[in-house]
Amino acid sequence: MSVVSLKNISKMYGATAAVESVSLDVEKGELLCLLGPSGCGKTTTLRMVAGFVKPTSGTVEIEGKEVTDLAPYRRDTGMVFQSYALFPHMTVAQNIAFGLENLGKPPKLREQRVQEMLELIELAHLSRRYPAELSGGQQQRVALARALAMNPAVLLLDEPFSNLDAQLRVRLREDLRSLLKRIQITTLFVTHDQEEALMFADRIMVMRNGGVEQVGTPSEIYETPATRFVAEFIGWCSIFDGMVNGQGEFSVGDSIRLPVDAGPGPATVIVRPEHVKPVEIPGQAHAFEARVTSSNYHGSLCRLRLDVSGQEVLMEAHYPHGRAPKVNERIAISINSKGVRRLPG
Amino acid sequence: MNSDLIDTVLGVAGLAVRFTVYVMLISPAGIVVLASFTREDTLSFLPSGFSLRWYEAAFSSSPFMSALWTSSQLAIVATIVVLILGTAAAFAIARYRFKGSSLFQSLVLSPLIVPIVVLGLGLLQFLAWVGLSNSFVGLFVGHLVIMLPYVVRTMIGGLLVLNRALEEAAMNLRARPFRVFRRITLPLLAPSLITAGVFAFVTSFGNVTLSSFLAVTGTVTLPVQIFTYVEYSYEPIVAAVSSIVIAVTIVVILIIERVIGVDKLF
Repeated sequence: MSVVSLKNISKMYGATAAVESVSLDVEKGELLCLLGPSGCGKTTTLRMVAGFVKPTSGTVEIEGKEVTDLAPYRRDTGMVFQSYALFPHMTVAQNIAFGLENLGKPPKLREQRVQEMLELIELAHLSRRYPAELSGGQQQRVALARALAMNPAVLLLDEPFSNLDAQLRVRLREDLRSLLKRIQITTLFVTHDQEEALMFADRIMVMRNGGVEQVGTPSEIYETPATRFVAEFIGWCSIFDGMVNGQGEFSVGDSIRLPVDAGPGPATVIVRPEHVKPVEIPGQAHAFEARVTSSNYHGSLCRLRLDVSGQEVLMEAHYPHGRAPKVNERIAISINSKGVRRLPG
Repeated sequence: MNSDLIDTVLGVAGLAVRFTVYVMLISPAGIVVLASFTREDTLSFLPSGFSLRWYEAAFSSSPFMSALWTSSQLAIVATIVVLILGTAAAFAIARYRFKGSSLFQSLVLSPLIVPIVVLGLGLLQFLAWVGLSNSFVGLFVGHLVIMLPYVVRTMIGGLLVLNRALEEAAMNLRARPFRVFRRITLPLLAPSLITAGVFAFVTSFGNVTLSSFLAVTGTVTLPVQIFTYVEYSYEPIVAAVSSIVIAVTIVVILIIERVIGVDKLF
């Protein structure tokens, strides 16, 4: 049985749909990420699960019980807000205890649970501090402990890393993921950061303009995007609009010829940059002559935009120090045919 | 060279302006307090000698003491009532979109713009019409009207600054609406409530114009009592009464400052 089940939910604001017939099942212990650009409806979807937004149509179920019309305080969810929303007039311990108080737990049990939570987030020594006296990372952990203290059926995270600096973000992401996996809590997670989603989630639902583009594991989403939007939004890739002939050869422009697994007709294929490699001698299979249009240094690897007879090709490659090609230089590249994916439709 | 000279001139001018402003702000109160300690029978500056006889007279004067009592009672009760009404109105304006919202807001804030003389005249007519002229209820309602804009303005500001996510977080943590209000909203609005309360209290406690219009036979507020007294007598007793009021005000502000800090108030 799924822990959270959305059935055809829509949210209309006047004539515009913020969310349009979204269906989703989140399994027990799963870490599911709602991913999309701002305004795609991911936060509205999360808020419909929490009960802050009432769907115009469709139903929301939590642990098999319909909660569509229930107020937020009658739903078994724990939410971490983007701003963390820690109560500024309460200490860390009081913040964590607040939910338990509302559930009517006796003081003894409350104290015990708060202590457990403080140990979980490793902040027991700061229990008497006020939120304003904590760092961003510590505040995030307190917000998490406060949400988890009530042992909710589902944890809701609304862009929890967006207020942290880049260095800290990567480390906290790993820490949070291993913590959530350890306690095996079902989690719905909202982000606009595709890298975060790929690293963090068990499954990703990519949203756009209120609708669902694709649902799948991170590797499915990355390797076999269902739509052009997903291909462009997740990672980096070259996209070619061309034709497939009777022999299963895809061609675009004057020179690019690639084998694809598809019937004849017009087709769109994508190639991820790691499947493009520089080669010494042109003339090799699927090798092309390319002109460098931009070159970006990224430490261990170099990201290049190339022009292959009018088509833009993206490449990521390792070059020895100082050997990276410069703009307008002509180089030879090859495209690994295993990396060529045809977009459906 | 030239710019140095301009800087110096501006610096000196600024100092002079600041000094003048401070003197003008403090001297009226200072003169009254100094004059209250006089030994003489008439109000004069500078006073000659030192005595507490006018304080004795003030405390034993039943017209002044009962007026002080009336004013305090009126201001305290009206402040409590207006805080409830004004906060509710501010909630409606800041939180909900409804038809005529901006009209409602202008209406609530209008006593700030309408001259109090006009307001007093209008209220007098209106209260006579509904049969409440020459009644304490009428005076009380009149005071509520002039106190309301200060409360509504301050509370709208406080509500706009309050992060709604805090209330949502409380609700997510299973707190029912009333509990959210009592445990989260109210404590976080406390600084705004105190500011609004101080404004409201002072507005009621010091008002002469409206209170004269809505005067009730037998009950006189302190400012009106002082005002009418000064019209026919120049006894330093008014200086002593005023000094008592100033002292009470300062004590209240000091207490508030101790509790939450005046810098957070305004």
